[in-house]
Amino acid sequence: MTDHLLLVLQAAADTSRAYGEFPVIGARAFVWITAEVHLMFAAFVLGVPMFAVVTEAIGIFGHDERYDRLSKEFTRLLLVAYSATAIWGAMLVFGLSTLYPRFWAYLTTIFAPSMWVYAALFFVESFTLYLYYYGWDRWKKGRAKLGHWTLGILLNVWGTVVMFIANSWLTYMMSPPRDITPTTDPTTIKLWHAIANATWMPINVHRVIANVVFGGAIVGAYASYRFLAAKTDEERAHYDWMGYVGNFIAMSALIVLPFAGYWLGREIYQYDQSMGITMMGGFMSWLWVIQAFLIAVLFLTGNYYLWIGMGRIPGAERFQPYTKYLLIVLVLGAIVWGTPHTMIADSKELAAMGGSHHPFLGALGVMSAKNTAVNLMILTTFLSFLLYRRANVRPVVPWARGGTLIQAAMFAVAAGVVLFYGIRGYFVEAIVRIGFSVYQVLAVLACIAGVTVIDVLMARGAQSLGAIRWGKMPPRSQYALFILAVTFTWLMGLMGFARSGIRQYWHVWQVMQDTSQYAATPALGYASKMISLCVLIFLSLVAFVFWLGGLAEKSTFVATPERQGEPRHVGH
Amino acid sequence: MWATNAKIVGIVLGTLALYTLIANKIPQVQSEVPQALTLGANVTPEQLVAAGEKVYTGIGGCTTCHGLGERAPNLLTDEKGQGTIGARCGKREPGKSCKQYLYESLDNPTAFVVSGYQPIMPVMTKQLSPEQVWSVIAFLQAQGGSVDVTADDIAKSKPAAGALTPGASPGSTGGAFAGGSTDPKVIIQAAGCLACHKLEGQGQVIAPDLTHVGSRRDAASIRKKVLDPASSITQGYEKLAGIMPKSFGTMMNASQLEALVEYLAAHK
Repeated sequence: MTDHLLLVLQAAADTSRAYGEFPVIGARAFVWITAEVHLMFAAFVLGVPMFAVVTEAIGIFGHDERYDRLSKEFTRLLLVAYSATAIWGAMLVFGLSTLYPRFWAYLTTIFAPSMWVYAALFFVESFTLYLYYYGWDRWKKGRAKLGHWTLGILLNVWGTVVMFIANSWLTYMMSPPRDITPTTDPTTIKLWHAIANATWMPINVHRVIANVVFGGAIVGAYASYRFLAAKTDEERAHYDWMGYVGNFIAMSALIVLPFAGYWLGREIYQYDQSMGITMMGGFMSWLWVIQAFLIAVLFLTGNYYLWIGMGRIPGAERFQPYTKYLLIVLVLGAIVWGTPHTMIADSKELAAMGGSHHPFLGALGVMSAKNTAVNLMILTTFLSFLLYRRANVRPVVPWARGGTLIQAAMFAVAAGVVLFYGIRGYFVEAIVRIGFSVYQVLAVLACIAGVTVIDVLMARGAQSLGAIRWGKMPPRSQYALFILAVTFTWLMGLMGFARSGIRQYWHVWQVMQDTSQYAATPALGYASKMISLCVLIFLSLVAFVFWLGGLAEKSTFVATPERQGEPRHVGH
Repeated sequence: MWATNAKIVGIVLGTLALYTLIANKIPQVQSEVPQALTLGANVTPEQLVAAGEKVYTGIGGCTTCHGLGERAPNLLTDEKGQGTIGARCGKREPGKSCKQYLYESLDNPTAFVVSGYQPIMPVMTKQLSPEQVWSVIAFLQAQGGSVDVTADDIAKSKPAAGALTPGASPGSTGGAFAGGSTDPKVIIQAAGCLACHKLEGQGQVIAPDLTHVGSRRDAASIRKKVLDPASSITQGYEKLAGIMPKSFGTMMNASQLEALVEYLAAHK
């Protein structure tokens, strides 16, 4: 807002060809689609290797070949997904260089060396993948297997560095260092100075975690499809287990993701308060209501999947009566979290509401209530998982009862801390209130860590009440996994719009103005159509990749002699 | 299997449709690019109010603070039982009409700060054109009061021909800041420094007092601070980081900048 004079001058000077046009859908839509689908594939090829290398490690160190086969099954899918990532990336680059030539020239002037490194690393990453996949059966035992696993780690390292480089370009657009102005000659900008901008590392961390979530969700969707298509009980059991693992990883990482998002949001506010206010209280304020709805869907669907899963666990009937209470907490939490607070409203809307806040809901729309709600939802989801985990075991350690009481006390204390600071937040200044969210988060994390440690120790030598009946899941549970995958993907598109959209009519925030016909940032309705289109393109292509994976090679699932007799999947 | 595939496709499409539908059902707000505002000599109060509402909710950025109940007073709705801004603006400051009070709020926002709020509002007359400023005033008057803004008010506020006007349209020729003067006092006046800083007994104490700035900063440090206000924040003023405009370096020419730096550096 403070630099209107600058953009006036820049716009006046902006006479030579700065923009191209793309037929039918327009330049912005073309770049939007190519960037979004490229990013989704990139998240896929970064998230799945994380999943693969962890499952391979479990296979190696846990001496369980199921995990090794699972890991290979996913690495196979990566081969085609890499090509798709590269194709969409090339389309994006061609789109930018022909439709936004001046902007693209500006970026390349600053970032050219990093782009060369990016290309080289993508090359190295691809060949590491080929070695990793095609060497799977050759380097299968002993030290060779460890070497193979190291390739998997390297694959993740290259992929992460590649992502960090690309993140530096887009975060520079959001938060260029403050000494860079519209008159700064881009040839004088030091590369590292541009890379290490205010939002670079928060975005890096946020995306690493989000990729784990995304990878887990896509794995879950793949497994659910295979489950529904399975012809034998063994195959169904295998893919039921795979779907559970995928969902578990996705939900576990999802619990951490809001904290990374909070850090990113804080950095945005610290970099430029007006950008932060635009994001949370300006024209994008409704977006967070949609986000709350989507996350509520994720929590409810993830918990629903766990609750259905308890039907296949002997002993789970002890806990099933409690699920209705968990559902009540989740629904109430979702309602509070989705309550609007700060929104742009015109005078008629304000008059209709009777004030800037709705008389009934204003009190629930503030951050004190929302933080309390989301922390209680996280605690509830963790409790769901704990009940699931303990469903078929009876601890035998002598301190089992005391341990359970301590766990219950930890939940009570965490919930108490969350509620206490939530309520107290209404009576203090905003600057103090913001600090309260840290205590709430720490209480929840401490509870999760403490309860998990006790549970692991308590499970030693625990009496089994019966093996999990893998595969004995109704089809609706698998459709829940599809909803999770679609919702995660849509949410990724939505948050991408938020991150990019808060720049508004700037290519590079307060440095390079967007003077094209598409400079205005569209409303959420238009954005949602674009997001849905991108998700549809991505999921269709992923379905094709899955189909190709099945076409090239049958599932790596092999019914082992042990599993043909008694079910082997006892643990989680 | 076809039935299963159809169910999966149905669930995927249904989920996408649901999210798209919800996103289209909520209020649609597009972030517009700031546009220049041209109002003729025969502009009517209705036209002013309509234009003012656009500025208020758009380029003015007023809604980022006003109406939230925390950062700044409500203007369009009741403020602590005193009514909307149009109803209360004439009673705020003794001897000041509604129009005068509102103009002062935009031109020198720290002159009168409503009790219970921090003096964080920027000088809007430095950021908006006279047309935009007066149309916002008309819009605010219309919130429970009567509009008496006229085209004369706009004309009187306009700087001399050739001067660079805030909010001018793209392609405007611009002009010399502070009339091209290298007199530091004229520059300080034109830049509105005293809206936040105090110097030689004048101005506000929101930002650091500049009376002895030369004893704290050398010329290079002052120059850097003017060009890049975020480069260093005086201890105790961290909360106000980001308030100082970043545009002074491009508004002033080199001679003006050096004159200002030299003048401030001499304030030991």
